[in-house]
Amino acid sequence: MNGKPQIESRATPVPGPARSIILFLCSWGPHAAFQRLQDECAPIPEAVKMVRIPCTGRITKALLFKPFEMGADGVALIGCHEGTCRYGSGTKAARANVRDTCEILDLLGLGATRLRLGLFLPDDSAGLLQFLRQFSDDIQSLDKSPVAPYPLPAVQGDPTPALNQVLREYDVYACQDCGKCSSACPLTLAGKTFSPRSTANALIAGQWDDEGVRRDIWSCLTCGLCSDRCPSAVNFPGFVREVRRILLAHGLGGHEAHGGFFQSLSRTMTSPDLRIHHWSWLPDDIQTDPQSKVLFFGGCAPYFDIFFRTHLGVTTRDILVDSLRLLNFFDIHPALLDAERCCGHDLYWSGDQENFLKLARLNVEAIRASGVEEVIVCCPEGYRTFSHDYPANGVETPFKVTLLMDFLEREIDKGAVGFKRLNRSLTFQDPCRLSRFEKKSALPRKLLGRLDSAGFGEMQERGGGAICCGNTAWTGCDAFSKALQVHRLRQARATGADLLVTACPKCQIHLRCAMQDPFIGESLEMETVDLTTLLARTIQWE
Amino acid sequence: MKKDQGPGGQTEIIFTGFGGQGIVLAGKILGEAVALGDHKESTLVQSYGPEARGGACSAQVIISERTIHYPYVRQADILVCMSQGGFEKYIDVLTPEGILILDSDLVQPRGLDRVHFDIPATRLAEELGRKMMANIIMLGFFTAVTEAVSFEAASEAVAASVPKGTETMNLKAFSKGWDYGRALLKGRQKKAEGRTGA
Ligand code: SF4
Ligand code: SF4
Ligand code: SF4
Repeated sequence: MNGKPQIESRATPVPGPARSIILFLCSWGPHAAFQRLQDECAPIPEAVKMVRIPCTGRITKALLFKPFEMGADGVALIGCHEGTCRYGSGTKAARANVRDTCEILDLLGLGATRLRLGLFLPDDSAGLLQFLRQFSDDIQSLDKSPVAPYPLPAVQGDPTPALNQVLREYDVYACQDCGKCSSACPLTLAGKTFSPRSTANALIAGQWDDEGVRRDIWSCLTCGLCSDRCPSAVNFPGFVREVRRILLAHGLGGHEAHGGFFQSLSRTMTSPDLRIHHWSWLPDDIQTDPQSKVLFFGGCAPYFDIFFRTHLGVTTRDILVDSLRLLNFFDIHPALLDAERCCGHDLYWSGDQENFLKLARLNVEAIRASGVEEVIVCCPEGYRTFSHDYPANGVETPFKVTLLMDFLEREIDKGAVGFKRLNRSLTFQDPCRLSRFEKKSALPRKLLGRLDSAGFGEMQERGGGAICCGNTAWTGCDAFSKALQVHRLRQARATGADLLVTACPKCQIHLRCAMQDPFIGESLEMETVDLTTLLARTIQWE
Repeated sequence: MKKDQGPGGQTEIIFTGFGGQGIVLAGKILGEAVALGDHKESTLVQSYGPEARGGACSAQVIISERTIHYPYVRQADILVCMSQGGFEKYIDVLTPEGILILDSDLVQPRGLDRVHFDIPATRLAEELGRKMMANIIMLGFFTAVTEAVSFEAASEAVAASVPKGTETMNLKAFSKGWDYGRALLKGRQKKAEGRTGA
């Protein structure tokens, strides 16, 4: 080494900060090709950092995306051609994952060009080199990624004092050890060795480091059924959230579903310079108006649809389109935040307070700058977060926050609106954020009652006492979540209804997940539709 | 849906229904609203059937820019029917281009082939928990679809004419009818443009 800065050795030097490219390299075929390049001291671009992997098909969307969350400028996934590899369907899975992640990068404004799939056999080192140089040049020609890596948990030492403070703040000491929480908890009832009471008591006893306790802290669905029953009004979900915050800050997290993809996604959105294209896919017939005093906030459904496309076939994006159609029906042509970010619900409930607050401030600032007076939110989680959690965490919202359902009920109640006949009998899945947290379980029922359907049947557990869809904030999904979903779907089918109406995109995703079970899925199969969509498809002027 | 005034710049209106429905009160509120709020002339003539409660009754209101010389309705420009009997009795008095308003649950305009406005006022009043307020709901609806009186004048007159302590409930009923009327007009306009659903 002659001490010269490395950047000067590049073929095409680019001013400004160096780019970084993560190369996920299959250790089967392509690695042999790569090794030859190394042996030959071939000019592999220096921006490339190589990570050996067993098979491209094993690299999930979460892993493909993770480098972007950490500030990488480009990611390449290199595997072998179809049929040449002992892992069988790896390449096919890799194609699908790269395609989906590219679409998500596009929505996010990072751009699909930053992720590329390459397939090389051992003897094609020249091809691999050409690919790497081309990709590197392409990435160099792009702007540096605006995503700033979020600071890794920095807190060292014993979390006990912080945990004790939370125990005091949430008055967990008021627990009377009556066990009502555990007998209400759907996870406990699903057979999991999990009990809010013993978790609370273990933390009182200072056993946070116990493996079981830590697992349980990340298992809780924060659904709130336990608190509903608690004679001492212990706010267990809030307590769990705070414990998560402390554990996460000490580097004791990592229990997210789907490899933490959605948490990663939310964290990337905390970068102020990201130019998100949240609405680029909106159909042409939707009428919006940037000057409107009303803003529609849609939420993350577009990302969900892409992410779950291959295994669930969900279309929760329709909820957003149908919400806008309903607003248009009532002559509201709302403004949209083109660069709409995640509301932060999932970061908040999975303990990432810092990044939650960043999102909250960015959202409120963008809304304030757009000059609107009212924000209509269609998703119960978003509504809860905007109307409750932002102010509770010191982020004031200088605008009115309205739940779309409230708006619709108000407008429909003015009369002269009717509904087309719907020859389906319905049942309803209560979203916990709506029915329990916001105490609005009567509202969806009022709207359902307005439909001209073939009937409506309540499930055994309903309203404020309903069991949730088995997953919150993309944490805590396991076999017991699944058991709970199965139980819920059986309740739904027991009503005799032939259409399961949901009111939260995630309820639909999670319940449909259980229907995919290869063994009992068929016996759970039930058509699901969001209430918004149902209203939009049947509403008409009298 | 602004109603052109009849001959002599005057609008002749008949409210019909059963005694006890508050038909006369509706007429009285309308007359007062027009006179006090909109600064026009108005007259009210009421008539009851054999029994005040349950029998046929009507209120005849005339609204004019100028002095009214004859307070009885000869040719109605607007007819509001809250009973089948009232409808049968007065439908022929309505001018061909006049506005017909019905309580859709109480009146079946059988064989009638003309555009009219429907509101289930009595049912909506029941839903509000106050069946007696059907007349006020009807008045709100009337205000929205005919524009014979301004919203402000009519709502102020409602507040001033109803028993003390019931103002809020009555204003709620008035808005209910008004909202329904506005929504109906909007719906008709959308239909005319060929847009029905979302
Ligand atoms: S919040 Fe829900 S999942 Fe968590 S302990 Fe309470 S009842 Fe169980
Ligand atoms: S219900 Fe409340 S008081 Fe009873 S054990 Fe659970 S947390 Fe303690
Ligand atoms: S229930 Fe299914 S969709 Fe939901 S988090 Fe678990 S695996 Fe994912």
